[in-house]
Amino acid sequence: MGLFDAIGIAGSGLTAERIRMDVTAENLANADTTKAANGQPYQRQEVELEQVGSSDFSSALGGAMQQAGAGAPPGGVKVSGIVADATPDQQVYDPGNPEADAQGYVKLPNISTVTEMTDLISESQTYQSDVTAMQTSKSMFTATLGLLK
Amino acid sequence: MIIPPLGGLGTPLSASQAPSLAQGAQGAQPSEAGGVAAGEAGGFGGELTEAISSLEKTQDSASSASQALATGNVSDPESAVVTVEDAQLAMEMAGQIRTKATEAVQSIFNTQV
Repeated sequence: MGLFDAIGIAGSGLTAERIRMDVTAENLANADTTKAANGQPYQRQEVELEQVGSSDFSSALGGAMQQAGAGAPPGGVKVSGIVADATPDQQVYDPGNPEADAQGYVKLPNISTVTEMTDLISESQTYQSDVTAMQTSKSMFTATLGLLK
Repeated sequence: MIIPPLGGLGTPLSASQAPSLAQGAQGAQPSEAGGVAAGEAGGFGGELTEAISSLEKTQDSASSASQALATGNVSDPESAVVTVEDAQLAMEMAGQIRTKATEAVQSIFNTQV
């Protein structure tokens, strides 16, 4: 454990939440996109988060080699991948639409704007709490240094 | 003694001051070597040199991070912020320890004989 680990961990949370925010913004921007890169309607993207140092063998071994019950030291969070949401596309009846098929249905992305907006709120609040964690650990350290004065 | 780590934006601190500081500590090492084992692991001189060079490293990375932030080359502003915070806190701690050491030397100098 380093001296400033808490700051780095909170920083990794900030990075992860920013990437989640990017993906949510992408989803909102493409909520009505009927033609993505593959010619199909846009598919909702989701961010997968992973605890740093949780999965690889050496950290698991290191955690196990320490006293029983003590886990691996905290390392923060990282984005392990951005995956497509497999929910089927929405079908909307709109015969006048140039994208409509023979039956008059248009395929729209599997995005609910309300879900994205609530995701946005949760991301912004998590970001805020990460900022608070960073500020708190900084002021704790500064207070400790104040003892030397 | 707080040296703002955002020095990378204006005049870089690390380029001018920090290396001379580190060299000064390294230069002091051989003269001390006769008395105490300064260069050995655990020796005071070695510890000091190591501490100062790691301090210099944090200052260096902070100034390059803030420069990258200012020029828009960085894609991850949070890690730049973390680097700068690290450098500032490390420098603050070094400053406090230096003040304490100076105080100790002063109190020796002021001893009544």
